[in-house]
Amino acid sequence: MSRTKVLLVDDEVEFASALAERLELRNYEVRTASNALEALGLIYSYPPDVVILDLKIPGMDGIEALKAIKIFDSSIEVIMLTGHGDGFSVEQGLKSGAFEYIIKPVEIGELISKIDSAKNKRNKGNT
Amino acid sequence: MEEPEKEQRRTISDFFKHLFHPSDLFSLLSKDRYRSLKIRIIVLDAVLSLVPLFIVITISYFWFQQILKDDFKDRLKGDIESTQQSVDFFLDERLSALRFIVSSYTFEELRDGKMLTTVFVRLKKEFPGLVDLGVIDSDGIQQSYAGPYLLEKKDYSTQDWFNKIVIRPHYVSDIFMGYRRIPHFAMAVKNENPGNGTFWVLRATIAIETLGKYTAALDLRENDDAFIVNHEGVLQTPSRFHGNVLEKFGECSLSAGKVSVKDIEDQSGIRSICASASIKNSPWILVAVIKSPSYGRIPKIFRNELFFLSVISIFIGIMANILMTQTVVNRIKHADLDRAEAIAKTEHANKMATVGRLAAGVAHEINNPLAIINEKAGLMEDLLEQAGDLRQQKEKFLNLLGGIFDSVNRCRKITHRLLGFSRRVDIGRDVVDMNDTIKEVIGFIEKEILYRNIRLELNLKKDLPKVETDKGLLQQVFLNIINNAIDAIQEGGLIEVSSDVRGTEVVRVSIRDTGSGIPKDNIKHIFEPFYTTKEKDKGTGLGLSISYGIVHRLGGSILVESEVNKGTTFIVEMPVKVYGS
Repeated sequence: MSRTKVLLVDDEVEFASALAERLELRNYEVRTASNALEALGLIYSYPPDVVILDLKIPGMDGIEALKAIKIFDSSIEVIMLTGHGDGFSVEQGLKSGAFEYIIKPVEIGELISKIDSAKNKRNKGNT
Repeated sequence: MEEPEKEQRRTISDFFKHLFHPSDLFSLLSKDRYRSLKIRIIVLDAVLSLVPLFIVITISYFWFQQILKDDFKDRLKGDIESTQQSVDFFLDERLSALRFIVSSYTFEELRDGKMLTTVFVRLKKEFPGLVDLGVIDSDGIQQSYAGPYLLEKKDYSTQDWFNKIVIRPHYVSDIFMGYRRIPHFAMAVKNENPGNGTFWVLRATIAIETLGKYTAALDLRENDDAFIVNHEGVLQTPSRFHGNVLEKFGECSLSAGKVSVKDIEDQSGIRSICASASIKNSPWILVAVIKSPSYGRIPKIFRNELFFLSVISIFIGIMANILMTQTVVNRIKHADLDRAEAIAKTEHANKMATVGRLAAGVAHEINNPLAIINEKAGLMEDLLEQAGDLRQQKEKFLNLLGGIFDSVNRCRKITHRLLGFSRRVDIGRDVVDMNDTIKEVIGFIEKEILYRNIRLELNLKKDLPKVETDKGLLQQVFLNIINNAIDAIQEGGLIEVSSDVRGTEVVRVSIRDTGSGIPKDNIKHIFEPFYTTKEKDKGTGLGLSISYGIVHRLGGSILVESEVNKGTTFIVEMPVKVYGS
């Protein structure tokens, strides 16, 4: 089974790079993007299985970015990254086709299991 | 002339002002505004309700009095008429008796003194008051006489009454004083001899006491008077207040003819009713002058009842007025208390909303460094668990730890800023650099501005004089205004914050946005509490009013300029020194 391709979108570079490295240690293939434009570019050049998307990124509203991703390829699963107290955006995200959401600071085990279920779902969808 | 008129107009307008806004007057009585309100309502209500009552009572009183007067006049007319008829009858009776004698006896029979005396004695029995009786021939010579005086052969031919009887069948004289100085009147009846054109006259003298009993028969009160006068107004009977017999009476003009009742007023202004009626077959007029007021005839118990009823209804009216006012004012008081409570609650809610917004912002701000710390520490743990050569990883570990410390520093900055923001409740006295204050405030909301794609421009003038003021409160004001600007702006809009000095004493900060602007009608309300145009649940409508209060407490001023669809500029001006020194 090939490695799961993950795209991590967050404007906090320090956060994104550390998390990316941890995921790579767990045998995931990770790319990071710090804004929506960069993320959309990567999706085109390097189609990921799962996108971990911060809802507050500069350049474009997180929900808009989510919609753009889903329009480009609806089989790409999106896990939203959010702080506490942003229930409205989470609800909107889930309605717009996000697979799951996870609250910052992230517990790595939880994130891994969510990425895996997202990958499983995508695989089922593809077969 | 103009000045006193103006003065008067001012006094009148002052009166109305005090009547409807009498706080100035009543503030002297009590500082409790509810009590003064109560008094105001009671006075106004009493005036409004009692004035019509008084008007009705007064009108009814005069109306009732007029009715009584008219009624009294009618009765008086009747009384006068019946008295007049009695006097008519009295005269008729005596004239008839004389006529009977004249037709029953011949001149020759009566010329005999004895015969005349017999007739006189008989007649006197029937008609008391008869003084004497005389027979006079057509030359005016008294041929015989029966009575207390020696008047035989007296010549009446030159006297006025004799000249009148020549052309009339009978005659009644005015009152005159006789030889004994007793007032009396004469009546005469003529008998003509158809054969030779001569005549003779039977003349009787009658004392006036007999007339007095007729005037006394009128139902008179203590101030009233009734008497008889002749056509020249000379009194024929004694009167109570209008002089004695033969004195002149001129109080009311008398007219011969039917009964008349008139209102008259004498020189001293006393009103009275004058009733008069001519008496048939005589030169007399019966007169009654009524000075007692007509309502004097209303039974006293009825008058008392009327007075008692009026007093009771006024009392009940005032009591009801007081009770009603008490209820109304108490309700107002309760409503005011409720309102004050509601304001306090909303103010608290606003505070909580601000705290909530701040807390959410802070949580979000702190969450990011926490997430970084989490990932860096997690990565270190991952590396340790893999347990490779730790010395090889030294550089990596130091980097990760550096990242952790950076994030902790970020958190520290946030907590410090927060503490600085919420430090004081009372006004503090800090020496404040306005530009730094603005930058700190912007630090709180920078992220929000960034995420919403709003452009932020800072035009801060260098070397601003330091302002002596409360930094925390000022930050609250700026935060409030910038938050409003963010809410008003569409994505891609602009917020421009600039600082400047005006003169050397005032620092001016203006916050301009390119938002929707405020319509002219709303702009005068924006500093009022609870005024909001934001959607429900988004604003309490207290933010700007609190800001306004704070700026004024700090000795500054806050202005707003706005144009619809172009944007709004808030200008805060703070004096460099407020505290005088």
